[in-house]
Amino acid sequence: MSDKLKEVINKQAKQNEVEMIHSDDVVQLVGFIIGDEEYAVPILTIQEIIKPIEWTRVPQTPAYVLGVFNLRGSVIPLIDLRLKFGLKAKKHNEDTRFFVLKQGDDVAGFVIDRLTMALRINRTNIGPAPETMAGDESLIDGVGKQEDRILTILKVNKLLERDF
Amino acid sequence: MDEFQEILQDFLVEAFELIEQLDQDLVELESRPNDLELLNGIFRVAHTIKGASSFLNFDVLTHLTHHMEDVLNKARHGDLTITPEVMDVILESIDLMKTLLSTIRDTSADSGIDVSECVKRLDAVSSGQAVESVQDEAPATQEQAQEPVAEEVEEHEEEEDEIDYDSLSDEEIEEEIERLLAKRQAEDQAKRAAKTAGESNQETPKEEKPKEEKPKPAAQAPVPVAPRVAPKVERSDSEDAKAASPAKRAANTVEQTIRVDVKRLDHLMNLIGELVLAKNRLIKINDDVEERYEGEEFLEELTQVVSIVSLVTTDLQIAVMKTRMLPIGKVFNKFPRMIRDLTRELNKKMELEISGEDTELDKSIVEEIGDPLVHIIRNSCDHGIEMPADRLAQGKPEQGTIGLKAYNEGNAIVIQITDDGKGLDAELLKMKSLEKGLITEKEAELMTDKDAFSLIFKPGFSMAKVVTNVSGRGVGMDVVKTNIEKLNGIIDIDSEMGVGTSMKLKIPLTLAIIQALLVGVQEEHYAIPLASVLETVRISVDEIYTVENRSVMRLREEVLSLVHIGDIFEVKRVMESSEYTYVVVLGLGSSKLGLIVDTLIGQEEIVIKSLGEYLKGIEGIAGATIRGDGGVTLIVDVAALMHMAKGVKSTAFVEDNSSAVVKEKTKASDYIIMIVDDSKTDRTIMKKSLEPLGVTTVEAADGQEALNILKQGEHHFDAMLIDIEMPRMDGYTLATEIKKYNKYKTLPLIAVTSRTSKSDRMRGVESGMVEYITKPYSADYLASVVQRNVNFKAEFLQ
Repeated sequence: MSDKLKEVINKQAKQNEVEMIHSDDVVQLVGFIIGDEEYAVPILTIQEIIKPIEWTRVPQTPAYVLGVFNLRGSVIPLIDLRLKFGLKAKKHNEDTRFFVLKQGDDVAGFVIDRLTMALRINRTNIGPAPETMAGDESLIDGVGKQEDRILTILKVNKLLERDF
Repeated sequence: MDEFQEILQDFLVEAFELIEQLDQDLVELESRPNDLELLNGIFRVAHTIKGASSFLNFDVLTHLTHHMEDVLNKARHGDLTITPEVMDVILESIDLMKTLLSTIRDTSADSGIDVSECVKRLDAVSSGQAVESVQDEAPATQEQAQEPVAEEVEEHEEEEDEIDYDSLSDEEIEEEIERLLAKRQAEDQAKRAAKTAGESNQETPKEEKPKEEKPKPAAQAPVPVAPRVAPKVERSDSEDAKAASPAKRAANTVEQTIRVDVKRLDHLMNLIGELVLAKNRLIKINDDVEERYEGEEFLEELTQVVSIVSLVTTDLQIAVMKTRMLPIGKVFNKFPRMIRDLTRELNKKMELEISGEDTELDKSIVEEIGDPLVHIIRNSCDHGIEMPADRLAQGKPEQGTIGLKAYNEGNAIVIQITDDGKGLDAELLKMKSLEKGLITEKEAELMTDKDAFSLIFKPGFSMAKVVTNVSGRGVGMDVVKTNIEKLNGIIDIDSEMGVGTSMKLKIPLTLAIIQALLVGVQEEHYAIPLASVLETVRISVDEIYTVENRSVMRLREEVLSLVHIGDIFEVKRVMESSEYTYVVVLGLGSSKLGLIVDTLIGQEEIVIKSLGEYLKGIEGIAGATIRGDGGVTLIVDVAALMHMAKGVKSTAFVEDNSSAVVKEKTKASDYIIMIVDDSKTDRTIMKKSLEPLGVTTVEAADGQEALNILKQGEHHFDAMLIDIEMPRMDGYTLATEIKKYNKYKTLPLIAVTSRTSKSDRMRGVESGMVEYITKPYSADYLASVVQRNVNFKAEFLQ
């Protein structure tokens, strides 16, 4: 009996290990479109994705900070990534979404043009950010390639960092 | 193990409370060295901690307290006089004791701290000045351990107390315990017998109680490590200690309190916050429903329920807030000791006068207020109070006085720190700041004395020539300012050269939920803490004067400077400003400011939420709150707003002239008319009717679309033909919306409708329509009405 049990436990442990190795190689991302480019952030940094709701303007902030909105009782800043990336403002439409990203205690909502999909991408397929864009100040973490598409992977901690 | 932890927790809480009291008593003791009651109280505290720590196996702590006890015991018996030197040693040992207790709290062990130095000094004090020959330590302790217990037990336990345990050897004590245990067992048996004998007898259990209690302390008293001794003694001690405190609380009042974890209270407060928000929402929904189903029976019931819920929520909130209130005395207690230490350190003579220590405020504030007060008081001692000789030379009493006073003022608590020292020198302050490059020369010139006093709060500012242990690093007062601002408090300094300085800290009673005045500007809303609102007035625009580019008004006999909230918060001015406007008079300390707003919405209870890390520290915004409709409203930071107002130029009443420039009409098609109707046929009929005039027409299928076309501003419309019944937005609403905008004030709106009743016409006029054409109409009539309203030039008529 106990031998059997041991066997089962061992098996499970092995399986877990395999999965661990497996998940070490693969990064899970969620892709979205801003302007003409596709970007992505790690899936675990996303608290939720919601349809646009009303927000309140906050004075004395850069244009890309749209204001704050109420997410079930929490007041959360709202940042327009189009404006942040230097694109022209666009009217929100059916595809527009608020990405609520969270890292530690920092939470913020980001306006994106359109969601694409959640994807698993092999770590080996992620290259570093182009040299001109690399560095601590850059928002770009790396560039992922999958089939024929190229995704810019963003640093969530940088996105959530106040830079004004 | 768990039980041990529980006991340990109790011990720590109790010990810290005792020590807090101890500090104050010790300082008092120095001025009244012969107060036996005070000495007894202090001794008992040391003793209690010793007893409990030995039971909990904290050897280092036991060792230390044991020696303290020695010294105190001698003082108690008159063998030792309390001199400042002795006091220094005692205070030092108490500090060490605090450190030990903190270590225990953090690590559950008291190792790693060396007490031998201090113990040596304690011994020196005790033996060096003792008149009697040094007693054998062990019996001394035994005696001390015994005494307080005996005192307590004495009253009802005289007989057993007469046994002199000190003279007993260990074996004898064992025997004594055996004896007492046996006695108790016998009693218990008797009780049980009595119980079975007289089950129905109600009296019996009452009699049992005292019997049961009696033997307990006696049995355990002789054994200092017995588990029950510690709590027993502690209780009597803490009460005694309180009785000895200057507050002079009644010695015999039984405290009906329980300890509650602060986290639970915080959680409760958060829940109440959510409840308040939900209540606001409920009220809002009730209002909406009321409007819609006026006169329905169920409405009355709903209103009743809503008002009960709202009432109870408010009461509940107040009740919970009260549970979090602590007397500020908790903070004040540590200052007598601090002043005493500083007196010796700085060789000055100072005394502290405390009043209003019973004033209560929220626990979180009590915790935050301690540090700033330490800095302010140190500052007063170091820079304020002069050396005794200087004071005498100036004809002041040799001893400087520092006053610490707390009192309630409206929804806030004021803590006032005064000293009768040399006061602040505004010129010197400016000079120093200039030297350190904290301000420019121009700024210095423009500064009032009061502004100059505030310079001491600048980071990096210091008056001290040398960095001393006490001050001179230029950090302290900066800390004060940041901490007080964090609490939404206000600092007000007043000073007179040679007479003294007074610093007032005004702090809101509680942080989480406040009363606010909601105001509107254009399409935005803001909440202003009601505590800073003195009054609101409605004035006509003519009453606003401009002086040196600033708006001012006369409010009774005063001239009040005004600022438009829209100028401060960069609000886009899209709507018409009416002839009348509202001024919210804000007051902070001694300064006043009139804030011009477009509308007053009302008073509401709001829950302050932070804007989070990303948006924190935005000037003029103290936080945000969630309103009844689920929207977010920003809370105005009145102090910052007043500061910002200085730099804002008035633009509020500068007319926007851009829209006034109307292009000269050179041909008939320069006239642009918008046709708003949901029916395609009707639009075409209108269009056909206007065709002979040769004007340009733009079509919109409903009110919303029409408004959007207007907002886009592609065309400058000369008139609008509006149908009343339309989906999405009807004609009346459209007209009302349009008239809100400044630049469309003169745009003629013409209703074209089949609604003919008088009330319809009235509504049309109310919403800003100038003409009312009823369907069906003749093409000529429509054209002539349009012609008349757009001032169609006759030469364009073919």
